[in-house]
Amino acid sequence: MNAILAIAHKDLKLLLRDKTGFFFTFFFPIIIAVFFGSIFSDNGGKPVGLHVMIVDNDQSVASEAFIAQLEASDEVSVQRSLKEEAVERVRLGKEVAYIEIKKGFGDAQERMFWGAPPEIELGIDPARRGTAGMLQGILMKYGVNAFQKRFSDPSLMRRSIQDSLDGIQSGSTMDDSRREHLTGFLTELDAYLDQPTPNVDGTGSGNGGFGGMNPLVVTARDVALEKRGPQSGYAISFPQGIMWGIIGCAASFGVSLVIERTRGTLMRLRTAPIDQLHILGGKALACFVTTCVLAAGTLGIAMLFFGIRPNSLVLLGISIISISFEFVGIMMLLSVLGRTERSAAGIGWAVLMMMSMIGGGMLPLFIMPEWMQTVSDISPVKWAMIAMEGSIWRQFSLNELLVPWMVLWGIGSVGFLSGVWMFRRSRSE
Amino acid sequence: MIALMNVTKSFGKTVAVDDLSLRIEPGEIFGLLGPNGAGKSTSINMTVGLLNPDKGRIAIGDGGSPHDPAVREQLGIAPQALALYDELTAMENLRFFGKIQKMPSGVLKDRVPELLCKIGLWDRRNDRIKTYSGGMKRRLNLAVALIHHPRIVLLDEPTAGVDPQSRHALFESIGELRRDGVTVLLTTHYMEEAEKLSSRVGIMDKGRLLALGRVSDLIASHGGKSRLYAQRADREFFLETDDPMAELVGLQAGGTLLQFKVESPDLEHVFLNLTGRNLRD
Ligand SMILES: Nc1ncnc2c1ncn2[C@@H]1O[C@H](COP(=O)(O)OP(=O)(O)OP(=O)(O)O)[C@@H](O)[C@H]1O
Ligand SMILES: [Mg+2]
Repeated sequence: MNAILAIAHKDLKLLLRDKTGFFFTFFFPIIIAVFFGSIFSDNGGKPVGLHVMIVDNDQSVASEAFIAQLEASDEVSVQRSLKEEAVERVRLGKEVAYIEIKKGFGDAQERMFWGAPPEIELGIDPARRGTAGMLQGILMKYGVNAFQKRFSDPSLMRRSIQDSLDGIQSGSTMDDSRREHLTGFLTELDAYLDQPTPNVDGTGSGNGGFGGMNPLVVTARDVALEKRGPQSGYAISFPQGIMWGIIGCAASFGVSLVIERTRGTLMRLRTAPIDQLHILGGKALACFVTTCVLAAGTLGIAMLFFGIRPNSLVLLGISIISISFEFVGIMMLLSVLGRTERSAAGIGWAVLMMMSMIGGGMLPLFIMPEWMQTVSDISPVKWAMIAMEGSIWRQFSLNELLVPWMVLWGIGSVGFLSGVWMFRRSRSE
Repeated sequence: MIALMNVTKSFGKTVAVDDLSLRIEPGEIFGLLGPNGAGKSTSINMTVGLLNPDKGRIAIGDGGSPHDPAVREQLGIAPQALALYDELTAMENLRFFGKIQKMPSGVLKDRVPELLCKIGLWDRRNDRIKTYSGGMKRRLNLAVALIHHPRIVLLDEPTAGVDPQSRHALFESIGELRRDGVTVLLTTHYMEEAEKLSSRVGIMDKGRLLALGRVSDLIASHGGKSRLYAQRADREFFLETDDPMAELVGLQAGGTLLQFKVESPDLEHVFLNLTGRNLRD
């Protein structure tokens, strides 16, 4: 055990001494993740808060005023967009909700006392009940605000009354007795407002109800969140960056064993009174520690600064350990396959690149055509990506993760055992 | 004790070591002398268990196999290729290989500085060895082999590419091993080195052991005659003789010698006589 620790310690020291290697191991993955994440993330990767899309289908003064109110508020921030786009983004979970100001919103607000009330559609995932309620409240508040403003401004009010009277006279959708009552009431009200009224304060008390009048109707539309979509571009790019880091790590540790062989230091280790397995064990341990630190560090940055919220830290931890184990095993095999530094590096990169290319290390798996996703089953990178994405944004349950984990441990074990077998055999040539 | 019994090793069609038998006694310093490609390194590598012989048997210490960890603990090896970590310092290299030899940290704390002083690298102990000269690395390469006080030491070309000063320091270290009763097998293609350091030498060529014995015995049996050059007022003489002193006395009797030179046979001549070739072409 001491020999394993000594070798691992030495290898980690060598890694830290090699500035270029250190950079590529620990910073390159982050750079890749941030770079590609920012390309794919239109929302700039900001954690999704109460940011909503707003669709103005009325294009009236009233709708414009309503939007301006929302924009000025600090409860929500809004972004204008077209309906289809808004629905799509909510569905993919890139936005919390959208608000559509229906056509006729302005007219409905003007007439106030009759006809359909102004209408707003709120599109949100039904699971987000709390958020939906909060948004509805906010919308009602601003809708009522507009309503109140009319009451507090006699000239606006009188215009509404006049409009309403006209409408009531010409409209036929109202039964006669109601029409009669309303006409009487509105005429009286108009006469009352005609007198100079000092100090009309609309914000005064007693405005709780508006009789049978509805200041605003918010219809909720369920936009079921596509459960398995990434939260943002960073949720895709960080796992990829980590994957690249781990691949680079496996490749460079694989080459380091070959370097020991060609430089002769392996000869010293092999003639030392230690178990031959300890030589590989020490390397494996160093590689394992490095990949774990790399993955944990990169994820930490993703969580702290890029709004990545893994479904479960425990599951993610197990995934990372499994992935590290897998690639340590692959590293073992690659390191004994290469005879020279060049051939080891060549074989290593060719194999790992291929795995990465078909396994979703470059192109996200869910973008790939169906057949390609099937083919990619043979790539160890794919299972690593599934395990990582499964515990970052795919919301895999423990059961769903068991399969990728088992594949990872399987591949790792096969790599490790065949590496050990070939290492042992290589002595007696 | 190191014993190689009818050991043969081939790489493809190349027979690197051909039916080699050697027995090195405890406390003996044995030099394996031969030109490039003679099979010296291959012999060493088989002795330490890095290569398995195709035929024959190897026994170390009390007849143990080099694969036995208990046997390995007694072995120290300085490979021909400098086997050190370039990015580590001399101190770190020594400490690491000490740990690999299962030395406790407490012991290493004293042993590492002691060795660094002995090989004259104390002042450079905290420099990465990639900044060292070839000779300095060579000295460290030897120190690593000795870190755990091995009873049996194998040195493959310990002085390759080393200046006279470093060479002198290396000779001193090897001399100390002799005093400590360590068994040493060293290879070289410098015959001075073999002559100076070893009590016995084996001369190897093309995988075969051509001669084996004390240096003086080898020279006596295979070195041929001494060469004598002398100048007298009347004439000059070039002679090959077994007894240059007697010849000189005879020549002096015939007239006063103005000058003379005697060239005694050495291992170079032994090799030339055995193979018809010079040790270094
Ligand atoms: N791993 C190998 N594969 C193939 N041939 C080898 C190998 N090692 C040694 N040989 C061959 O075996 C022969 C003996 O080589 P060896 O290295 O033992 O010579 P040497 O006496 O140490 O030479 P030098 O003085 O140059 O170090 C050479 O012909 C060499 O080419
Ligand atoms: Mg050699």
